[in-house]
Amino acid sequence: MNIIEAKNLTFSYTDKPLLADLTFSVPAGSFVAIAGPNGVGKTTLLNLLSALLKTQSGSIILDGKGIRSFSAAMLARKIAVVRQEFIPPFGFSVIQTVLMARTPYYNRLGFETPADKEIAAGALKATDIADLAERQLAQISGGERQRVFIARALAQKTPILLLDEPTSFLDLRHQVKIYDLLKKMQIEEKKTVIAITHDINLAAQYCDNVLLLAQDARYYQGTPNDVFSTETIGKVYGIGGFSGAVRTQKFFLPLGKYARDYRVIRHTSACENKT
Amino acid sequence: MTKLLTPPTLLTRILLATVMLAAVMLACSLLGTEHISLKKALEPSHPGVVNPDYEIFFRVRGPRIILAAIVGAALACSGAVLQALLRNPLADPYILGISSGAGLGAIIAITIFSRLNWMLWGRSPIAFFAFVGALATAGLVWTVARLTGKSQVTHLLLAGVVVNAFFSAMIMFLTSIANSSQVQRTIFWLMGNIIEEDPLVLWTSGGFVLAGIFALFFISPQLNALSFSEVDAKAMGINTAATQTVAFVLAALITAVAVSLSGLVGFAGLIVPHGVRLVFGPDHRQLLPLSALIGAGFLVAADTLARIVVAPAQLPVGVVTALIGGPFFLVLLVRYSRRIDWLAK
Repeated sequence: MNIIEAKNLTFSYTDKPLLADLTFSVPAGSFVAIAGPNGVGKTTLLNLLSALLKTQSGSIILDGKGIRSFSAAMLARKIAVVRQEFIPPFGFSVIQTVLMARTPYYNRLGFETPADKEIAAGALKATDIADLAERQLAQISGGERQRVFIARALAQKTPILLLDEPTSFLDLRHQVKIYDLLKKMQIEEKKTVIAITHDINLAAQYCDNVLLLAQDARYYQGTPNDVFSTETIGKVYGIGGFSGAVRTQKFFLPLGKYARDYRVIRHTSACENKT
Repeated sequence: MTKLLTPPTLLTRILLATVMLAAVMLACSLLGTEHISLKKALEPSHPGVVNPDYEIFFRVRGPRIILAAIVGAALACSGAVLQALLRNPLADPYILGISSGAGLGAIIAITIFSRLNWMLWGRSPIAFFAFVGALATAGLVWTVARLTGKSQVTHLLLAGVVVNAFFSAMIMFLTSIANSSQVQRTIFWLMGNIIEEDPLVLWTSGGFVLAGIFALFFISPQLNALSFSEVDAKAMGINTAATQTVAFVLAALITAVAVSLSGLVGFAGLIVPHGVRLVFGPDHRQLLPLSALIGAGFLVAADTLARIVVAPAQLPVGVVTALIGGPFFLVLLVRYSRRIDWLAK
């Protein structure tokens, strides 16, 4: 069953459409990566899927109903959004931040119910940050903060998680930890995970499907091995590089013309450099 | 999980702050050029025999102290709300033009209507005009920001700054053509000045401000999320537009009440929420009531200082709050400007 079906989505800020006739579906319980160069509309698509932007033409069906028929409160029960982490202007602690996700469920006085606290504690445990609960967001690292934002999204108890570049600015260890966490949520909690990412190698290792957005509103979709072919990547990103396979999954190492091994790709012509 | 705010903790802290406020108000009412004794003050005047202690306590200092408390509570609470709405720790109740709008209203009342000897319900029209000016300006700034579209926080600030500048120019123009006694009244008003008011004014404005603060408390969980990030709050299912409108309208109303009664008392709305946040944390469910109570105590104390430092003359209370608040603000500015990120969504 598809939990999200987008049909003929077209969206533009100017005369030139950013997204045109985009049709894709997300099976319930799958892990989907949205990749593509800067400025092709990945975040716009995320904003459309989270109803922050209104669709201009085409439709998004969420759980069998048009996304426009959802109120903000109803939508928040279906989709939790994790945007890029930041330090908030006021010194909220980790646990206060995670509990914010429960705001619509507070009691009449505006306080957390025991159930809310339990859910927040569970989210902290799942993201492995229970020991940071009392720390302020400014006092922890970027990777830890990203986990706090994911924990807050988990505390929303939604079937769908939407993430905007969850691993940007993170070191290798934290990148892998975030992807392991997302995969765990997919497997253990049966969540549908949709993540915008620039890291196609990690996406190839963890995601079930890929939606690759390209210039001029073109797009590719399929399994990582289908979509992330050297030709497609070279064409979409306009770069050359070294590609291979780890075991079952492909990887791609981008190489510019001053890179040490640039000659390798020229001689083997693994990919034609278009730039 | 131990440090989370619970209703009993909050209630205890509110009660303690209320007791402290009452103590400050009582102590301040006994201070001044005339020494009065509390015991004597509580004996009412008998017909024909005037009890000066009673008169001073209930008719002179009492109303003034109560007014200072109302103004302080309103400014501190609305300061906290605007800081949350604008996601800017350096915001204060006047940042969106309310001050200049009220100032313009006041100076129009002083220069034009006092010349005509015009009275409003037997009172000087200054307060009324300041109130109307404040609300009209807040409405104007809000409408302009709404019209400009999406990025509301930036546009609110910009509209506020522009309106402030324009109305300040009009204030300067009117001041430049006013006579000297009008100029002095204007300057006192602009500096913020607390005077004795009659009980009717105290009761209505006090009730108004209290109701506003009470109502704001019930949107404080939403303000928590909103002060963090607007898009995130929306994605969590919070009706951000409604929360923003309610918060802005209530904050503007209680600020307008405060400003119409006391002129532009500066800094109370900036530094009190900050002090409270430093000690008790950023949770608005606690920040709003405690800021109101501590703001009330702060302004009562500041006004008492204004009464007694140059006695028998009196300073405008705004001078005292600015002398305390100015340096405090600079410290904040240095501390926060390095990591302040109020444009972040």
